[in-house]
Amino acid sequence: MLRAKEGDDAAFSDLVLRYQDRLVGLLSNMIGSPDGAEDLAQDVFLRIYRARHGYEANAKFSTWLFSVAHNVACNSKRSKVRRREVQLTPAESGSMPLPQQQIVADKSGLMPTRLFQKKELQDRVQQAMGSLNERQRMAVLLHKFEGMSYADIGAALDMSPQAVKSLLSRARDNLRLALEGYVR
Amino acid sequence: MEKLTRLTAEHRDNFAAYLDGELDDTLTRHIETVLSQSNVARNDVEMLAKTYELLDLLPRPKASGEFSEKTLAIARLKDSRTDFLQSPTYRRLQRAVRWTGWAAILFSASALSYSVARYRAPVEDDLLLDDLNVIRQYDAYKEAGGIEFLNRLGLENSLIENMNAESSRANQ
Repeated sequence: MLRAKEGDDAAFSDLVLRYQDRLVGLLSNMIGSPDGAEDLAQDVFLRIYRARHGYEANAKFSTWLFSVAHNVACNSKRSKVRRREVQLTPAESGSMPLPQQQIVADKSGLMPTRLFQKKELQDRVQQAMGSLNERQRMAVLLHKFEGMSYADIGAALDMSPQAVKSLLSRARDNLRLALEGYVR
Repeated sequence: MEKLTRLTAEHRDNFAAYLDGELDDTLTRHIETVLSQSNVARNDVEMLAKTYELLDLLPRPKASGEFSEKTLAIARLKDSRTDFLQSPTYRRLQRAVRWTGWAAILFSASALSYSVARYRAPVEDDLLLDDLNVIRQYDAYKEAGGIEFLNRLGLENSLIENMNAESSRANQ
């Protein structure tokens, strides 16, 4: 990032390549849409690029990146609410089969039980994640998929580690309640 | 032993942090003691851990192939626009627009003030019209010896009587 700050576009390109998949994965679970996630990830990188000259290396780059990502995801949700857009998340679409799965089912005349069960469970997990508030969801995703410590999550979400501890505890308790019927 | 250990809200709050390895040594030992003494606590922690494992089922889509090139191209394009916004030409243009704006505001304010003043403030002709009756009688007032004398004449009846008496004597 320090090289990108000095105007090295190749260095910025490396950063994009290094973080793009992680960011798209994170944002898609934040908003429940892979397409929208790519647009938001692009927005995050553009903000980083615009602010690169003011970057101070007193925090990890990833912390800064995820902090920007959190703001972008929250703003996107707020503007969607303002526009009263109704967009079904995969979780809200229930257990409707995907077109490809439908083709397989039609051809064989039999939905593979395991695939169906996995899809249904995946939907339930997505629904459970959707039931968390934005901060809880982001904290869970950063901890689970980015392996970030409470201190780093706190830096990204502008909270103390103690507050992150309470946030994650409540989030995991909510998930446990929502998914207890599926835990074996 | 189990009956002696009641789970508190604080214990439950610490379970997630215990699983994440985020508790200090004292709290970790305390939670381990609670776990060794309570089936309920062990069950709670196990449920939390298993629920967390279910999150592995969440889809993790990757960025499309052209994502990085597209992003960099847009960033450069926007940056070149930003460059113009920071150029001396843009700053001069901005200053000129600002001065023009102020001049327009000043001109409008002056025009408005002039119109209001012209409409509201009395002009010399208005003052003359107000005094028209006095002006018409000006010669008569002058001959009588001034407006003060006429005022006295209006107020003091004895003065007229004295004048009438003087006039009669003069005629005789």
